[in-house]
Amino acid sequence: MAKVLMKGNEAIGEAAIRAGCLNYFAYPITPQSEVAEYLSRRMPEVGGVFLQGESEVAVSYMIFGAAACGARVFTTSSSPGISLMSEAISYIAAAQCPAVFVNIMRGGPGLGGILPSQADYFQSVKGGGHGDYRLLVMAPASVQEAVEMVMQAFPLSEKYRNPVMILGDGLIGQMMEPVEFPDHLRTEPTNKDDWATNGMAFRKSDKRNLVKSLFLDPDQLNSNNLTLKAKYEQMKQEEIRFETYNTDSDYRVLLVSYGTMSRVCRTAIDQLKEEGVEVGMVRPQTLFPFPEEAVRTAAGKAGCRAVASIEMSMGQMVEDVERSVRGSLPVHWYGKCGGDVPTPEEIIDFTRSLL
Amino acid sequence: MEIRLDGIVVIVGNYGSGKTEVAVNLAVVRRNAGIEVRIADLDLVNPYFRTRQARKQLEARGVDVVLPEDQYLNADLPILSPRIAGLIRSPAPLTIIDVGGDDVGATVLASLADAFGRQDFQMLQVVNPYRPFTETIEGCLKIQAEIEASSRQAVTGWIANPHLLDETVADDVYQGADFVKNLAERTGLPLEFVTAPVELVDGLDAERIGRPLLPIRRQLVPPWKQAVQLPGIISKVAAAAKTAKGA
Repeated sequence: MAKVLMKGNEAIGEAAIRAGCLNYFAYPITPQSEVAEYLSRRMPEVGGVFLQGESEVAVSYMIFGAAACGARVFTTSSSPGISLMSEAISYIAAAQCPAVFVNIMRGGPGLGGILPSQADYFQSVKGGGHGDYRLLVMAPASVQEAVEMVMQAFPLSEKYRNPVMILGDGLIGQMMEPVEFPDHLRTEPTNKDDWATNGMAFRKSDKRNLVKSLFLDPDQLNSNNLTLKAKYEQMKQEEIRFETYNTDSDYRVLLVSYGTMSRVCRTAIDQLKEEGVEVGMVRPQTLFPFPEEAVRTAAGKAGCRAVASIEMSMGQMVEDVERSVRGSLPVHWYGKCGGDVPTPEEIIDFTRSLL
Repeated sequence: MEIRLDGIVVIVGNYGSGKTEVAVNLAVVRRNAGIEVRIADLDLVNPYFRTRQARKQLEARGVDVVLPEDQYLNADLPILSPRIAGLIRSPAPLTIIDVGGDDVGATVLASLADAFGRQDFQMLQVVNPYRPFTETIEGCLKIQAEIEASSRQAVTGWIANPHLLDETVADDVYQGADFVKNLAERTGLPLEFVTAPVELVDGLDAERIGRPLLPIRRQLVPPWKQAVQLPGIISKVAAAAKTAKGA
């Protein structure tokens, strides 16, 4: 297929269709409402369903219901909307159902603003909802990467029977870039007969499949939590993704940055290189599991004197970077959280202050 | 072939068709041709990538920019500045009205019907055939019908804006221009002009395009890219006076 010019929000919608997801339930919120706009037109064309719930809470339980039946399903929202969905996300993780959530972040806390932000790092990576669950969190830095991650998110959510979160800032949703799509995969979750409540016709015995998150028996609850923990450990072994930039150079500062913020860092690194200052970067593509080893190795390179987390939040990723570096170097932070994306010049000035 | 548009020019189109980029570049080209230009940002739909981003560059070149009041600049609220109706009633020699995307964005025009009254104006629909929903003639006609229904005004011409941002090559421009020429023929409405990224303009065959060409110097860029410098004399005095007045 030839390249087309798409907003991230539209491309996310199309990518879900191409991944074989024909169920989309959502409630509009800036800056991601174009996903619903787009899919309200496209879903009927491909025989899929778009349903607007009466709230994010309703939507999140529609997702749980569809996922429990073995349907490939996803939703998109933005920060406060994801907060409302967090209870169901915890239920879905506990009940071990696959589902994909997309958060196109806006500034917070509270109603905050509608401009780009990365302030939902803790919400996605450390919890959001209650209980011992984790999400596999992927953070795209371009529209094309958003397409690829959405397409990977469905099989990953099915492999682990766990929700996958695509975490993009407002720019990922709103900016336009040329993108390419593979053909539409008309497939369904392959393992669903083992667990989904899709009818007795699909059972090999008289035993019903049961999807639940309530375990009153302490042994059963503990056992379910151990099962979940094993899956999260497996994610740490198999799903870490990251990219490095200018790490072949003799850099003196290492930046860690994700999403569109990392693209500003790239521009800053290129300009600093022209001025004779080498700076390296690790860009986590998965935030959970976090590329600890990659950050530790990059920070450990001879000549590297400082590490900095550059993010559009008040330093929420710093803890993960510190954990990776294990005290071998100081970890600094630079960022902004009001909706103005830090400029390459600001990153340059800050990086120079660390030399 | 030069672009000779004047009077009131309303620019409509689907989401992301390039209305704002076209409006901003058109404003500067006409201003540099010596015409007094006013541009109004009527995009009430989407808070990202709007005319207001190019405000300083425009004002420095003597283009009068009409925006919502500063305190509402980053809201996604449907705020229509009372100045808009006024500038339609007593227009500048060229008044460009940059409307929000799709029929939703064009709805605001219906509320200005009184101000338009019996005045002559042109409503031009921007088409980028590399965007979703406008890659076919039928798709463009559907959006035209939706915009006309919600704005209660008729589209009077087309603007071809065929591009894939930084990845645009000459053939994309030629093929996109041909596509909109077909659309123009089919509707009996003129193709007013064709756009091309400024970097490609020198290498393009003007005869092959056969319509006036508007070079696009991208203004609405993400934060890691630099906007392309707009041509024209930068009047610091005019920009400073404007800022003072605005404050």
